Amino acid sequence: MTSSSSSSSDLVCQLDSASGLIDALSSVRWKRSQDALVELSEHGIVLIVEESGCLQAKLYLKREIFASYEYQAEGRPRFGVSLGLLIDCLNLFTVPGLSRAVEIRYPGPDMQLLLESVESPSSDAFIFAEIRTKIPDTISWDYNFQPAGSTPISFTVKSAALKEAIDDLEWPGSSVQIILQPNPPCVSFRAEGHGDLQIDFMYYANTDLLMAFHCDQQICYRYKYKFLRATTSNMPSSVTKDKRGSKLTFGMGGLLKVQHLVSVTRSSTQHPNIDASGYQLPSRIAYIEFFVKPEVDEDPVNDA
Amino acid sequence: MKFKASLTNHGIQILEKRFLHALDKVGKTWHVYLTPDHFIFLHNLLSFDGIQSVAQFSKQALFSDYRIASQTGNRIAFTLEMALFYSALRGSASICAAGGANGVHVRLAKKQTKSNGPNMPFLTFETQGGNSTVIHDVPISSPLSPGDIMELQSALESAQEIPPTLVQVPDLAKMQNFVERHKNIGDILKVSVTQYGDLLVEVATTLAIAGAAYCNLGVLGVHVDAPAESQAMKVRARMELALERGEALSVELKLKHFAKSLQCCLAEPDSAFLGIAPQAGCLTVIFQFFIPGTHQNDKSISLHCRLPVIDT
Repeated sequence: MTSSSSSSSDLVCQLDSASGLIDALSSVRWKRSQDALVELSEHGIVLIVEESGCLQAKLYLKREIFASYEYQAEGRPRFGVSLGLLIDCLNLFTVPGLSRAVEIRYPGPDMQLLLESVESPSSDAFIFAEIRTKIPDTISWDYNFQPAGSTPISFTVKSAALKEAIDDLEWPGSSVQIILQPNPPCVSFRAEGHGDLQIDFMYYANTDLLMAFHCDQQICYRYKYKFLRATTSNMPSSVTKDKRGSKLTFGMGGLLKVQHLVSVTRSSTQHPNIDASGYQLPSRIAYIEFFVKPEVDEDPVNDA
Repeated sequence: MKFKASLTNHGIQILEKRFLHALDKVGKTWHVYLTPDHFIFLHNLLSFDGIQSVAQFSKQALFSDYRIASQTGNRIAFTLEMALFYSALRGSASICAAGGANGVHVRLAKKQTKSNGPNMPFLTFETQGGNSTVIHDVPISSPLSPGDIMELQSALESAQEIPPTLVQVPDLAKMQNFVERHKNIGDILKVSVTQYGDLLVEVATTLAIAGAAYCNLGVLGVHVDAPAESQAMKVRARMELALERGEALSVELKLKHFAKSLQCCLAEPDSAFLGIAPQAGCLTVIFQFFIPGTHQNDKSISLHCRLPVIDT
C-alpha cells in the first residue's frame, strides 16, 4: 500500500530515520519562513538557502547517507520548497514509538515532494506527506569562492566554542570583526555597539579549541552579526556532543566560508556504518557550508 | 436545595490524580450536574461553538455518603471554574495523603463574603484532620433554574448519542504527539472513518497534505469487511472508495479541538474510540475505562467529547 511504481520518479530514496535529516535541515534554517532550492543528482541531494544576496547555506546530502537511492533523471532536476514545511512534515516521522524509515520521492503526480513511511511488520500507522514544490524563479547566486592568496587563510575551531563565541557577541550587537594574525597566531572576534567585546582564540594556548590555523598575513573583515549568527544558531546538539570542529576559510574580498559536519545517524541507533569503537564512517555525515559576504566599508579596515 | 456527600479515598484519587487535570485542560468553566445517582461534569453543552465534553461518575464511584434534595426532581446544577475545584481537591488530597484526615465532606453552602453583602453560593470542601478541620470554599454560580436544568438534561441526552461506527484509537499518547506535530503544518484536520476499521487523520493546506492512516482497527457498531478490490489500494484511494460506497464518513474540524479532546488521556483511559455522527454532524471521541485488573468496561465512569465540524 505504501509504495507505488518508481518508474515515473526522478528520485526514490529511503532513510533509516528522519531525525538526522531534520537536524541537518534545521542547521540551515535561520528564520521561520524560508524557501530552499533543491537540486537532485546521481551523487546526492544539495539544498541551498539564501538571504539578501549576502548569506547562502548549502547542505550536501551524499547518496551514501541514504539506505537506498534510486536516481533515474536526465540532467539535474531542481525545485523550490518551503524549508520549514519540509522540516515540519519530516517531524511527523519521528513520533516516539512511531519512529520509522521514511521514503522520499520526487516528483509526485503534481510535481510534489512525497514522503511516506516505509511499512514494517511492527508499524501500526502509515504516515504520509505531500509537499507542493515551486519552480525556482531565480538561479541561486554563485559565490565563486576563491582563496585569497596562494595559501587559503583558514582556521578550524570546535563547533561548540564557535557557537558560544558568536552567541556572546550578540550583546554588543551591530557587526562583528574577525581578525586573524599570524604572529602570535590568534583569531579574534570583536564587536562594538552597546559596548565592546573581544573574544580571542590563541592557537598555542587553546589547541583543543583552535584545532588548526593557516594564516600568513593579518586580515580583518567585518560581517553583519545576524548573518554570522545564522551560521551557528541552529547547530544540532549532536555536533557539540560529537565534539566536531567547524572550518572557517576567507576568500577573495573577505568572503567567509563556514563548514560544519552534521551526523545524520542517531548515535543511539545501531547502524552497520558505525563500528564497534563508535567510529562513524564519513558516509553518514551531511556537509554544510555557509557563505557570508563581508560588510562593505567606505573606509576599508582590511589592511592586507 | 441540599447537597452533602463524603468523598472516598478512591474518589479523591480518581478526581485529583486523573480527571480534574484532564478536564482543566479541556475547558476552564464547567457545569456540575448532580442527580440522585450521578455526579456529572459538563463542558459547553448549552452552546456548541467549541468542544463539548461530559465526564460522568456514578455516586458510588466517588462517594460513600451522597444526599441530594431539590424541588427539581432532586437534581441540582451550577457552573464553576475547574481550576478552583481542582485546587480545593488537591488541598484535601494532600491532607489525606499526610494520613491525618477522617474524610472529605462536600456540600453546597451560602456564605456572606462581605459584611452586609449578599450570601454567595459555594461548594465547600471540609477536610477533617486529627486536630483541625480545613474548609475550602469554591465559588460557584447560582443554581440553574428548573428550566435550565431541563435544557441541560436534554443536551446531555443528545450528547450521549453514539455514532453508528466507532474505531479504536491504536495508541492515545502516540496519537496526541502526532497531532501536536501537525499544528505547524495547518489548523484544519480532516478525519475519516470507515466501517472496515480504517482511520485517516490528515491536515491539508495549499502547500501540503500530511497525515496518518491506520488500518484494521477494532470496530464497535456497524462493521463490514473491506471489498477485495480495495486491499491493494493506497490508503487514500481506499478511503475515497469507501466514501463512494457509503461505508465511510469524513469530517473537517479545527485541529486545536481534536488536540484538546486528546488531553483527556491525562485521565488515563484504557482505550479510546472515534466515530462520526450521522450526516457528519460531529466527531465523537469516547474514552473507555476498565474495572481495575480486568478488561471489562467500568460503567460507573464515562468520559467523552464531541467536536464541532466545519461546514464544507
